[in-house]
Amino acid sequence: MQFLRPLTFLLFILLAGCSKPSDKIIVATAANVQYVMKEIQAEFEKGSTDSIHIVVASSGKLTSQIREGAPFDVFVSADTRYPEEIFKNGGAEEKPKVYASGTLILWSKNISENELTLAMLADEKIRKIAIPNPETAPYGRAAIEALKAANVFEKVKSKLVYGESIAQTAQYITSGSVEAGFNALSIVLAPETKQKGNYTIISDSLHHPIQQAALLLKHTNTSPKKSISEKFYNFLYSEKAKAIFRKYGYR
Amino acid sequence: MDPQPLFLTFRLATITSALLLVLAMPVAYWLAYSRFRGKGVVEALIGMPLVLPPSVIGFYLLLAFSPSYWFGSWVEHTFGLRLVFSFPGLVIASVLYSLPFTVYPIRAGLQSLPPTLREASFTLGKGAAETFFKVLLPNCKPAILTAFVLTFAHTVGEFGVVLMIGGNIPGVTKVASVAIYNEVEALNYPAANQYAMVLFAITFAILLVVYSVNHSLLRARQPA
Repeated sequence: MQFLRPLTFLLFILLAGCSKPSDKIIVATAANVQYVMKEIQAEFEKGSTDSIHIVVASSGKLTSQIREGAPFDVFVSADTRYPEEIFKNGGAEEKPKVYASGTLILWSKNISENELTLAMLADEKIRKIAIPNPETAPYGRAAIEALKAANVFEKVKSKLVYGESIAQTAQYITSGSVEAGFNALSIVLAPETKQKGNYTIISDSLHHPIQQAALLLKHTNTSPKKSISEKFYNFLYSEKAKAIFRKYGYR
Repeated sequence: MDPQPLFLTFRLATITSALLLVLAMPVAYWLAYSRFRGKGVVEALIGMPLVLPPSVIGFYLLLAFSPSYWFGSWVEHTFGLRLVFSFPGLVIASVLYSLPFTVYPIRAGLQSLPPTLREASFTLGKGAAETFFKVLLPNCKPAILTAFVLTFAHTVGEFGVVLMIGGNIPGVTKVASVAIYNEVEALNYPAANQYAMVLFAITFAILLVVYSVNHSLLRARQPA
């Protein structure tokens, strides 16, 4: 048992470093919102001492983590279903509110813009089509609806490849691993992915609107993060934020 | 619960382990007996999957298999095969990812044999191949069994690489570990639990059998 004492000491030293609570709030952000969120964050932090951390994952993963007690303060989801779920389970005081509606696109690294249509996906030269997992991603559900509405779903069903989030689907498309794929307009309008291939906007008459909601997660009244979280949550619905969302193709 | 992901997992693990056993034999033999100067470099390369994050392997394989890069386009034009998002692609990835789990135990087994065994066989006029198959291999059965099972179990436990290059296609690349991840993400915990329990039970049973068999093999070799 000689080693126990130094070990305990070491553990103490390691833990001591993270005992001071940071006053930065954590915003759990769905993958399709990650780029626009950077700009929202910059605008929010401008001229104030408040600052936020952004954690990016798919809405489903973030919801699982919130359910298991992850220390997030605000949840910015890609749909309305997941935040509703958290609210129903008592994870928030007030109902989720829609902050924007997303726009679905068809995107390809090599196919030209005027050639890109839903109908051409049935073509033989298209071997694989990437789509966010429709079970967990709203853009994936919208893509399936659009394919069915355009009567090509049965022909392309066997070509579908499922990304676990909008971000992984974008990675499949931009790396050229698939000929084409569905994604969010906000992703192609981001500076990080500009000039990477061509895209076409899928008419919103072909699918249900992709409404995206945010949720202010539960805080105790004594929590030092409560007021900043509320401030940021309200900022999401301000005119300033709305203008930024529009710039990234949200409606 | 859809049993398909489980079947796919065990199919992948069986094919990978069988392929690797064949591939690893010459490599292990070479590592055990060669006096080549640059052996250390080869050894380090083979061991890389032990220490590399699966995301690194997955990332490079995604680029390598993509038809936009030279290797992927060469494979596509030569064999008409696209490795990314396909079962053969998963097999190749698993072979790379589990290589050390097959090579190291077999090499250790060969090195633990008394050198006189090999020398005696050579002295009696047997060639290297015959010596290897008829003298050395039969004497390191426990090592071969361990190699096979560790490889099998490691492939069953594969997650990160498959997630990056698989594309989650039901019946093609949606293995059990990824199915669990999906069910958790869809907040479907009971289904995730069913998959997880089956994987836990089966892998535990496999390891248990192997260690029991290994003990009896070792006991047979050293009569008390």
